[in-house]
Amino acid sequence: MINKIFSAANNGFIVPNGIAIIIIGITKYFTSFNNGTLIFSEFVIIPFLMGIISSWYWRNEGLSSKKLILQSIVNCLIAICLSMIFLKEGFICLLIVSPLLITFIVTGAFAGRAMFKRNNQELNVSIIALLLVVFVIDSTSEHHYQNMVADTVVINAPVNKVWKNVVAYKRIKVPGKFWLFRVGMPSPVESTAEGYYLGAKRKCVFSNGYVFDEKIVTYEENKNLTFDITDQPRDPEIMGHIDILRGQFLLKDNGDNTTTLIGNSWYKLYVFPTWYYDIWAKSITRNVHLRVMEHIKQLSENK
Amino acid sequence: MFLFVIKYLKFLKIIPGAVLIFDSWLMLWTLISKPDILDHIDAIEKGVLGWNNTNSGLHKYGGLQLNYTIHELGHVHSNGLLDIPLSRKLKQKLLKEGRVQHHHTLVNTGWISFYIKTNEDKNYAIKLLELSYQSSLQRYKYHHP
Repeated sequence: MINKIFSAANNGFIVPNGIAIIIIGITKYFTSFNNGTLIFSEFVIIPFLMGIISSWYWRNEGLSSKKLILQSIVNCLIAICLSMIFLKEGFICLLIVSPLLITFIVTGAFAGRAMFKRNNQELNVSIIALLLVVFVIDSTSEHHYQNMVADTVVINAPVNKVWKNVVAYKRIKVPGKFWLFRVGMPSPVESTAEGYYLGAKRKCVFSNGYVFDEKIVTYEENKNLTFDITDQPRDPEIMGHIDILRGQFLLKDNGDNTTTLIGNSWYKLYVFPTWYYDIWAKSITRNVHLRVMEHIKQLSENK
Repeated sequence: MFLFVIKYLKFLKIIPGAVLIFDSWLMLWTLISKPDILDHIDAIEKGVLGWNNTNSGLHKYGGLQLNYTIHELGHVHSNGLLDIPLSRKLKQKLLKEGRVQHHHTLVNTGWISFYIKTNEDKNYAIKLLELSYQSSLQRYKYHHP
């Protein structure tokens, strides 16, 4: 019975996922200074290693390329389920991470297949050692990444009318068009301000009830509204992996009864590699901007 | 798409592992769009590995490389594009037959390209690789009489 469960075919699923959990657990234990940051190695090196380990167990199974890809995808699904259980990751987050996992598990599986076909143990040990070195260096390095996204909308209304709706706006009733909003990602629905002055507290409410607490740090009427995010919800979904640090609306009177509204957001990422996650962060921030700015445009253009 | 990447994004090959990743995407796309091609590639590998002193591995620009000892017989990208190094004379003869093309980047060389789509293409691909194998054998005999 035990032999059947731990057959080579099953070990290709059990062992790589088990090793991945152990490595991530050890990393989390020894690198608590990283403040919950998920690093490049966890999304690239570990999945690649998982693929190689699977190939080791499946090396004598005579798998076709199609079957190797499909089994690697199953491995990826198992890893995603385990992330849900052990890392308490949410659906949206796992949706975002899955292309990265599939890519590197499949790449690792085919690299492993080539490695074990040649049966050059020295080369194989060198590759594994190299991966471990990269992993250790990456795990013990400090990770810090901040970026900014800017978007522009032209509104057919005078600047003073736009300004009122920039500081605070009524509830957005139309559902978000962005595909991640449609599959359940929270989107901004309302903004309230305790007053129209420097230092006033603002609240940005999201569709699932999350509230971002903000404080106005620059208040130049009809020109510049800048606010720092003082508190934001900690949620297993994407919110735990990105901090929005500051938001800004700049208004420019175009002189023809229209206003150019520029929305800027500064954010900090806690997930790496940034060449992958920053694409998502920019896209999400941009769609948050556009949802709010389109609403401001609609409110301002209403006669 | 493949040709676009080869033509305009080839500078990315300096990033370690980038070609392997690209080939994985190609493989995933082939699995979705034309899964039979993956079976044809497997069959070609099996066929070639049945010849003496042949082996296979990963190609430096992604895909499956087939070798006679340490000499490359050809490589197949995961979208079914087979590239084979031949003599210019043999290339001209094959081009006249009309089934193969100039290599997708190395036009003025003996390299040829051939897209594997059907079972018949698979058989033709094995024939082309056999030509490359025979050339390698002759070269080997010439250098090791």
